Amino acid sequence: MIKIENLHKTFGKLEVLKGIDCEIKEKEVVCVIGPSGSGKSTFLRCINLLEEITDGAVYIGGAQVNDLKTNINDIRTEVGMVFQQFNLFPHMSVIDNVTMAPMLIRKINKKAAEEQALELLAKVGLKEKAYNYPQQLSGGQQQRVAIARALAMKPKVMLFDEPTSALDPEMVQEVLDVMKQLAKEGMTMVVVTHEMGFAREVADRVIFMDGGYIVEQGLPSEIFSNPQNDRTKAFLGKIL
Amino acid sequence: MDFLFNLRWDIIWNYRDLFLQGIWITIVLTVCGYIGGVIFGVFLGLGKTSKRKWIYWPCKLYVDLFRGTPLLVQILIIHLALIPSIFGQSLGVMFSGIAALILNSAAYNAEIFRAGIESIDKGQTEAARSLGLTQGQAMRKVILPQAFRRMVPPLGNEFIALLKDSSLVMVIAVNDILYAAKVVAGAYQRFWEPYLTAAVLYLVLTYVVTKLVAYVERRFSIDYNPRKNKEGRVAR
Ligand SMILES: Nc1ncnc2c1ncn2[C@@H]1O[C@H](COP(=O)(O)OP(=O)(O)OP(=O)(O)O)[C@@H](O)[C@H]1O
Ligand SMILES: [Mg+2]
Repeated sequence: MIKIENLHKTFGKLEVLKGIDCEIKEKEVVCVIGPSGSGKSTFLRCINLLEEITDGAVYIGGAQVNDLKTNINDIRTEVGMVFQQFNLFPHMSVIDNVTMAPMLIRKINKKAAEEQALELLAKVGLKEKAYNYPQQLSGGQQQRVAIARALAMKPKVMLFDEPTSALDPEMVQEVLDVMKQLAKEGMTMVVVTHEMGFAREVADRVIFMDGGYIVEQGLPSEIFSNPQNDRTKAFLGKIL
Repeated sequence: MDFLFNLRWDIIWNYRDLFLQGIWITIVLTVCGYIGGVIFGVFLGLGKTSKRKWIYWPCKLYVDLFRGTPLLVQILIIHLALIPSIFGQSLGVMFSGIAALILNSAAYNAEIFRAGIESIDKGQTEAARSLGLTQGQAMRKVILPQAFRRMVPPLGNEFIALLKDSSLVMVIAVNDILYAAKVVAGAYQRFWEPYLTAAVLYLVLTYVVTKLVAYVERRFSIDYNPRKNKEGRVAR
């Protein structure tokens, strides 16, 4: 589904990703953990080219993302992304947030788009908020709308960048529950997270990143109970 | 203060048609200059947010040039030098006047648009692009609608400034309000009456425009962003 080969990324003189190789299979749920500044967000953002790739290659469903011949907008419609800060469109109602991209890009009509949006909003438990504006919702509700908005494009992969980090603690669970449900339905997911409980329970594989490298990866049980690398041990020792 | 009692308002009345025409001309100058300035200004402003150097630099140069020189000088250059050089002849003072106001106000509007666009959080563009919108679609659907609301007050100020600045086109003998005053002053060698009349007419026009701008501001700042939700809690 996703194949990443020797991915390098530099910001000016700062090399943030120093050669990442990684493959993500269909329906796989991969959690990426690691200390702050280790390049987790950058890694995720290179997958849908929100960051320009310095060197190496990323393939999604066979198409090379960082090839000039590839239409990146087409690729992005297949890759949903959920941000730490939600980034809902504040000038649109909840339902318009969800219907905008499908109507504009998939060219489906308003009625069909709204039906689909209401279904998705029901799925994330927010059907009754469809006609509210984002600022009228709590953080957890906004993030669930953001998930529905991404799902409306029927993506093949979902990328999550610390989706619960900006939330008050009591709202974290409602977002994780939606993500768990999604995982159960077979969505391919790459999740950068500090929620180790979620990673342990839902992930098929955990990737530990540090200093721009993938230091260690494996089943959650292996990584959490029996880490091999010293840096992984140190990191998990600090947070568990 | 006896001059106040010796004012001869009859001379203004005698020239009322000239003043009425002046009001009309001032309105035409301002409205045409503004509309043209906003349309041209959008493109300049977008150009100034471009990452492509060959788009950015010409736009920046243009804006700096027009903001860095007096409008009066621009009017003279456009009417006496630029237009005759391009078209081989003058196209009339009205054409020159409107052209100068468009070209000048576009530079100011460009800065308003640029600042408005850049004030929108980068996450908004990223969210739109991650859904598959092109840069242009993201601009139209997500960035500009939000930026526009923030631009309404400064764009209103620009309209009022342009209304007053339009009086400068008198130097190339466009028959606006100030021109009417000058004619009357020359005819009677009296200065209080005609120039006071001009001042009052501008004051009335700016007052009307101020009210208009306030109305538009209210219409467009409809609070899509209420700080508090229904329970009165402060939303995040
Ligand atoms: N646009 C940018 N320009 C310059 N440097 C950047 C940029 N984005 C990220 N960096 C730098 O790259 C490094 C990795 O950043 P990244 O956001 O990928 O880390 P992270 O693992 O996601 O950290 P966190 O857990 O804090 O989110 C950091 O040192 C950061 O300062
Ligand atoms: Mg991050």
